[in-house]
Amino acid sequence: MAKKTYDLLFKLLLIGDSGVGKTCVLFRFSDDAFNTTFISTIGIDFKIKTVELQGKKIKLQIWDTAGQERFHTITTSYYRGAMGIMLVYDITNAKSFENISKWLRNIDEHANEDVERMLLGNKCDMEDKRVVPKAKGEQIAREHGIRFFETSAKANINIEKAFLTLAEDILRKTPVKEPNSENVDISSGGGVTGWKSKCCS
Amino acid sequence: EVDCVYTICEIMCLEPALNCCNEDVTVFLYLRDSYRSVMEFGEESSPAVAFGKDAFELTVEDVYDISYVIGRDLLKISSAGEEVSDLQFKIVRVLEMLETLVNKYNLSLEELKMERDNLKRELDRVIKESSAGQGTQTAGPNQMVVDLTDPNRPRFTMQELKEVLQERNQLKAQLMVAQEELQLYKSGILPQAEPAMVEVDMETPAATDHNPAIINDPKDEKTTIGRL
Repeated sequence: MAKKTYDLLFKLLLIGDSGVGKTCVLFRFSDDAFNTTFISTIGIDFKIKTVELQGKKIKLQIWDTAGQERFHTITTSYYRGAMGIMLVYDITNAKSFENISKWLRNIDEHANEDVERMLLGNKCDMEDKRVVPKAKGEQIAREHGIRFFETSAKANINIEKAFLTLAEDILRKTPVKEPNSENVDISSGGGVTGWKSKCCS
Repeated sequence: EVDCVYTICEIMCLEPALNCCNEDVTVFLYLRDSYRSVMEFGEESSPAVAFGKDAFELTVEDVYDISYVIGRDLLKISSAGEEVSDLQFKIVRVLEMLETLVNKYNLSLEELKMERDNLKRELDRVIKESSAGQGTQTAGPNQMVVDLTDPNRPRFTMQELKEVLQERNQLKAQLMVAQEELQLYKSGILPQAEPAMVEVDMETPAATDHNPAIINDPKDEKTTIGRL
């Protein structure tokens, strides 16, 4: 049996308007660094980061999409494989907030039905330029039943928390195969049954 | 023949042809001569200058000057009789023809110049329009005009870009696998013979299954690469 360096692989996707800071959010999480120069993402890119949750090594493969409309056909083809999607807007850019519904529609059209979603209001360090109140972000997240964080890639606020929370949410509904209890799903409330079947067989 | 409207040419030449050498006419011609040299030609130039001009540079005014000079000279020999008078009419006729030709030539020249300028303007407009990428005449609302001289013009299709990006990401994933493998060897976790299995699932968009915990085996990876 080949040795592997992780237990689970989660595929995440970052979407949102151009310039809201998707690449910076990812760069902060994966490399703990920040770059002020804006380089528009061409089409699609990805980064890898392995985290440990509940004693499991989880490899996060995070896809970073271009926000520009012209890459739409390329980026939407990556929705399907995602288990978690982070929708990012910029709290200093009202348009990016208004477009949330457009991005949510994209998720509905192109992603898996059970995909875990999360809303991020980025650039929360720029309080003097804020145009979207935190309450508005919280409200729209509540309306769609998804988690919400205000983040700052620059000031390193809530970045790791957001990714880990999303990973935990995915992990929670992931059926895990235990090496010693094949075919027993311990994550979907079948624990007792699993135990019974195990001891009674 | 006797019309109430005479060209200046006719007047100038017919005056001496009237065979009058009375003082009125002489005084009239003298006064006009003086007036002309002062008002039109300045003090130094005279109507005779017109004779020295290039034929294609002649204006109708030059023809009038020529008529005037010829008329003046004819006046000097007008006493000679009927033969000279005949010659005068012929000269007048030739001068009239010259006047018409010069007039027509200059008009045509002016027309051609105007047409040339119009065409120039039209050409400039067309060039400007096409380089500005406006192209409202040739491109529809959902089309764009591409400037073939622009080194940054779009020249790859979205499909080509998609494939290049997939290949880039595939290579990036392979690099990561190699780096990780190297790290494992370095730290002594892996014995030499055993291959490390740290594949990154690069399966793109078309992936049909949605198994949250994906652990590739080498075969899968190979087919993925092969497909890419």
